[in-house]
Amino acid sequence: MQPRVTAILVARNGALHLERTLEALRAQSRQPDVIITVDCGSTDDTGELLAAFGPTHLLVADAHLSFGQAITAAVRVCAPPESEHDLLWLLAQDSAPERDALAALLDELEIAPSVACAGPKVMEWDAPDYIREFGQSVTPYGAAVTLVESELDQAQHDGQSDVLAVSAVGMLVRHTVWDELGGFDPALHEADDALDFCIRVRLAGYRVSVVAAARVASAADGVAGPNGSFRSQLRRRRLRAARAAQLHRRLVYAPGWAVPLHWITLVPLAILRCIVQLLGKEPGAIPGEFSAAFGTAFGWMRIRNSRKRLASTKKLGWASIAGLRVPTAEVRRRRAMQRELSLTGLRSGRPEIRFLSGGGAWTVAGAGVLGIAVLAPLLGARTLTGGGLLPLEGTLPELWGSVAYGWRDAGLGFVGAADPFAAVLAVLGSLTFWDPSYSLVLLYFLAFPLAALGAWMAASRLTDRSGLRATAAVLWILAPTFLAALVTGRPAAILLHLLLPWLFFAGFAAARSWSASAASALLFAAIVACAPSLTPALLVGWVICLVVSGRSIMRFIGIPLPALALAAPLIWDQGRRGNWLALLADPGRPVPMKAVPDPQLLLGIPVGELGGWAPIIRDLGIPVDTMQIVLALLLAPLAVIALAGLFLPGIRSAGFSLLAAILGVATAVASNHLFLTSMGDQKVSVWTGSGLSLYWLGIVGAVIVALRRARGLALVPAAAASLALLVAVVPLAASGLLGTSPVAKGIDRTLPAFIAAEAQTDPRVGTLQLVPQRDGGILGTVVRGAGPTLNDQSTIHNTRSASSQNEAEFSTLAGNLVSQSGLDAAVGLADFGIRFALLRPAAGTSADLGVSEPATPEAAETARRAATALDGNAAFAFVGDTAFGQLWRTTATADAGGGAIPDETGQTVRLVSLILAAVVIGATVLLSIPTGASREAVRQANRDANRQAARANVRGKRRVRVRPTGRRAAARAESRPRSGRLPGARDEGHAGSVLGNAASSEAGDDRAVLESQENDNAR
Amino acid sequence: MPGKRAFVAAGARAAVGLAGAVLAVAAVGSAALVQWPYIERDPVSSLVTPVPSEQVRVCPGPLLTLAEDSNQASAVTSVGRAFSLYAARDASGAEQLPPVATEIEAVDNSTSSSDGSPVVVSVPAEEKAAMSLLTGSQSQTAAVESLGGLAAASCTEATAEAWLVGGSTDIGHTSLVLLSNPTTVLATVDLAVYGETGLVDAPGANGILVQPGTQQVVSLAGLAPNVKSPVVHVLSHGGRVSASLEHSLIEGIEPAGVELTGPAGAPAQLQVIPGMLVAAQASSSGGNSADVGALPANVPSVRIFVPGPDAASVEVGITSEDGQASGDSLQVEIQPGVVTEVPLEAIATGNFVVRLDSDQPLVASAFSSTSAGETRDFAWFTSGGMLAETFLVSAADGPSPSLHLYNSDASDVEVTVTSDTGREVAATVTGGGSAVVPLSAATSYTVTARAGLVASVGYSGGGLLSSFTLSAMGPLATPITVYER
Repeated sequence: MQPRVTAILVARNGALHLERTLEALRAQSRQPDVIITVDCGSTDDTGELLAAFGPTHLLVADAHLSFGQAITAAVRVCAPPESEHDLLWLLAQDSAPERDALAALLDELEIAPSVACAGPKVMEWDAPDYIREFGQSVTPYGAAVTLVESELDQAQHDGQSDVLAVSAVGMLVRHTVWDELGGFDPALHEADDALDFCIRVRLAGYRVSVVAAARVASAADGVAGPNGSFRSQLRRRRLRAARAAQLHRRLVYAPGWAVPLHWITLVPLAILRCIVQLLGKEPGAIPGEFSAAFGTAFGWMRIRNSRKRLASTKKLGWASIAGLRVPTAEVRRRRAMQRELSLTGLRSGRPEIRFLSGGGAWTVAGAGVLGIAVLAPLLGARTLTGGGLLPLEGTLPELWGSVAYGWRDAGLGFVGAADPFAAVLAVLGSLTFWDPSYSLVLLYFLAFPLAALGAWMAASRLTDRSGLRATAAVLWILAPTFLAALVTGRPAAILLHLLLPWLFFAGFAAARSWSASAASALLFAAIVACAPSLTPALLVGWVICLVVSGRSIMRFIGIPLPALALAAPLIWDQGRRGNWLALLADPGRPVPMKAVPDPQLLLGIPVGELGGWAPIIRDLGIPVDTMQIVLALLLAPLAVIALAGLFLPGIRSAGFSLLAAILGVATAVASNHLFLTSMGDQKVSVWTGSGLSLYWLGIVGAVIVALRRARGLALVPAAAASLALLVAVVPLAASGLLGTSPVAKGIDRTLPAFIAAEAQTDPRVGTLQLVPQRDGGILGTVVRGAGPTLNDQSTIHNTRSASSQNEAEFSTLAGNLVSQSGLDAAVGLADFGIRFALLRPAAGTSADLGVSEPATPEAAETARRAATALDGNAAFAFVGDTAFGQLWRTTATADAGGGAIPDETGQTVRLVSLILAAVVIGATVLLSIPTGASREAVRQANRDANRQAARANVRGKRRVRVRPTGRRAAARAESRPRSGRLPGARDEGHAGSVLGNAASSEAGDDRAVLESQENDNAR
Repeated sequence: MPGKRAFVAAGARAAVGLAGAVLAVAAVGSAALVQWPYIERDPVSSLVTPVPSEQVRVCPGPLLTLAEDSNQASAVTSVGRAFSLYAARDASGAEQLPPVATEIEAVDNSTSSSDGSPVVVSVPAEEKAAMSLLTGSQSQTAAVESLGGLAAASCTEATAEAWLVGGSTDIGHTSLVLLSNPTTVLATVDLAVYGETGLVDAPGANGILVQPGTQQVVSLAGLAPNVKSPVVHVLSHGGRVSASLEHSLIEGIEPAGVELTGPAGAPAQLQVIPGMLVAAQASSSGGNSADVGALPANVPSVRIFVPGPDAASVEVGITSEDGQASGDSLQVEIQPGVVTEVPLEAIATGNFVVRLDSDQPLVASAFSSTSAGETRDFAWFTSGGMLAETFLVSAADGPSPSLHLYNSDASDVEVTVTSDTGREVAATVTGGGSAVVPLSAATSYTVTARAGLVASVGYSGGGLLSSFTLSAMGPLATPITVYER
């Protein structure tokens, strides 16, 4: 009996591909007997094309119908099957069959009556030599596997016939079987509909086979089977659909007793898979994971219906298809290949950094030697003191405990948010877990080489000339702001200077790589933690990146998230107090310093006394104004070179550098005018050096951009500018050796040994610390245990402008203790848990460079008064003069109650904020690990390469000489993975990429632009 | 046309570059030239007024003389009993309070049982948050063979630091440092004696223990013999001490005067010595031994010591208090670390204010002597501190006591002096000028004026001369700013 073929063609806005499909259909050697076209709510001219084609039936359906439902609708209008020779041929708008496709498929079904369903070899639409898909199967665990994907067709798979499943595209199925099984499962919309149908066909006792001779080209428009596009939104939708389909099938195929087990694991598995997706650089898939898990978990009805449908036609057991599954060994082999491809994808397309051969190692080593020379007086130190340097908590649990919202031992102690800087310190301290405080010493000694390394790496993004990279490193480590941070003891500012070049390094690549984007986010968080005053400037830069990022906007949009998660409790706390400005306060102990005139900031010098020059020139009798001009002249070469960059090609890099410099100097000037904290009677401004680090980054960047154009002589001005800078910073660099730096070797404690010993037995022992102030006042604070630590410092405490009831009581106590007074101090001392009183030497002017000013007469008078009062107070007994000042202890018997930490409130906030920070930062860390290109990206790259190869091939046939459309496209087509950059394209590429986007606008061809952007997305 | 395109590109580049440069210059200019506003937070602080405490004054006690018994070089004996007078009032001066007087043990004085000991006067703290007023003074006229003359002294607060400017250990002079510890804590006292050659190396001067509630006497000659112009710096740790200096002189075998001197004003650039009395000298000045201190005994002088490291340029201004004699002014250069005597030879008799304006902190006292017939005496006039708005004066017994007021301010001050008996005397102290109010002996007064006056009480007559400066309330009880962070 002659078979009767009903071809059903489903189209939805497919005018682009429909013409070729209809053409191919018309050219079939065996014409279908009936052609039913289904137009699913097209808005383009699909309808006209279909009408013009003249099908037997022309159906118009809703736009949201799935392929399976559209077919079902079409089957309804055709005549009921008379025999098993009635066949349905499923086509979509983008499935163009080759001439003999239907004939070959028919042959297969005619020859073997047991075959109920036959699928063609699905070829690439643009690359007809490449197989898009050839047969489907599942792993032993039920995950869908495409047996052959994106391979050059060399007839290597033509021997195959029996498979577990075929794709929906071009599928020829017996009408009777279709009706018997009820068609595609309506619960499966996009993915796995054909796979599920074929499995049911198998379980109903029929066979499914592929026909190599039947070739159908498919563009994967998403009508039959999932959409094949790699545009991020569609890709995310495809991943979600695939996952949802897999979960649905799992619950449908599972034996009844296992369904609850599978159901319970839905969400936990989704969480686990999120980690994998992050590591696999597919963060876009995460929402899909959850929506698929929840969608499946609450889709009771769908699962029940599908299970019924399966059970009603199932004739064979699952064992019958076991042999058709992909064996575990094969799955493993495929995964290994996948990994290899990912890593190839990771390495390709990245310019080589040549750290060793480019002189990076020598630069870093030189910086290390310089660092040791500058810091020679600190050699052998185990702790450091001076300026803002304090020890860290002694153990890791305490160190990490101070990261969370909770009790803070600042002032009298309070429950509040931690500074984000505490998290940075916790990470830093964990590096030297045996003695966290030692990490600060290491930070000092490694500061120079690390700064040089960072700058060298950052410069590698702008130039591949070793000399210029080394120049950048030299300029960066000689930055006056960096040296000032070192010699005035500001660990946060030092860290900032070390991290800033890496932010540029990572941010530069963020447009192209998820791991670079995540690394930028982490660096952003660390930098904002170290220098909150830089936040506005960095956010401006971020917004500019967002604006120019184009399609890679997703890689930029999340960059401030970890910083936000880290600072959320602090923002909440300060916001509750309405103290928004205080969010910009520097973390750590406030370090008073002499006021710096604004114009001096333009020289990049954040410390008073002209960066240490003033005392020297005072001795030489040179007026300060003259010296300022001399310094300006010494730094002028840098400014001139930097500005010259604006007039040279590569203006975008120069412009961006200029913007960074202007933002930096604006931040510095604003900081100079913002006094948020105080130390005793001295108001302390925000550290201007943070802004100046950014300023310096812009200047160094502009210098490199300007000089990379110059041919041979570039190093002459670079060396001259570096030398002049070296002269300008001599007093700063040598201040350690000259003894003008307040930073010195510590003696392992910050309080007298007497108290330290007491703190061993009572860690909450309180010491009233008194520091006479310049105006005759006195600074009275309580320190607990062995002394204050850096990670206990709190900007909430430092910036609070009102004093609490408790603090007022404490001030009264302290004021009476340093006076002749009739107050009975014993009660107050017990209440505050004070066991010692330490009268420190009177405060000098500041922890600045240069000659320390002696205490004022008023301060000396107050010191005398306090000593006299404490001496004459029967509640205190003099212990002795210590290295830290005069020490008294209370005569009352020990009462440990007063200093105890009260039962904590705010546990909920603590938990919520910790979880939030852990999730966000954990996810970012996972994402930042460079595991290679994502699976989808590799798949896309593969497909692009095939398409291009095919196109080149076609062109080669058409024309004798290959002429690529664009330089980059050609480069990629010729050598993939690309091993290096094209010499001619170097500068433009660099210049464009500064703004975050791979700017291929230099390449003329529109198509090349699109492709390169897609490619960049993939990496 | 590549040529044209290149030209356009270069032009655009130059324009953009210029725009960037202008932007950079604008940024630099605005940073350098514009005066941006400051956002400042004042340091968190509170002004703490100490809870009023018990007010305590220590009177030095009876005049002492070194034991004649050479076996007991450190032992002293008292010569008679001193007359003491105390008064206490509430902070406003309106209400009289009963002061409590107790004696402390004079451990070195073998005859204290008969002559009495130093007296500690105290008045308990008021409930109101203000200090009570308390004053006390003592006087004694000695006329024994080893000691003769009038010695009046005010009862002083115990302090941790004091400068005793006066005395001498030259031939004929005896100087005793009296250290009284009224507190409940052991006081460890270090004495540093400076002379005309600088710091005197005195091994025994450190670590003098003064038990709570006792008076310790140290002979200056034992520490620093043959020093004509000593200045003693008293530093105590632990308990506070009230230090005074008893200076007596014997010329030949005749006593030529005695004086009890309290601490001089703390080192400061401005020192004012009110009520320096230069009495008429008898024409025949007895034995006329050539030197009292470094000077003829009868020449009034000012003793100046600069504790700091730098030499001081001092303008010594002498103005008559009663306007009878014109003032005098001299400029002297004082070397640091050594004691300098500045003779005031040109000075006539009368009452004077000595004002020392210096560019370095210094301590100072003035000296003058008197004689009437056989009776001879001398006095030390110490510089004084600024007094509060209301203060008490008690004038112990003595010849014609008078209150000397000096106003360093430019504007006039109206002063009311009210005696215990209710008799009021009003006076005006002109800006930069002085006033003398005669007092009745053995009477206490309440003085209401404006804060900032310097005052002393002087006795003069019949060859007797003495003076004490009214001490300001100790700085220990003044309000203090406490910074919280």
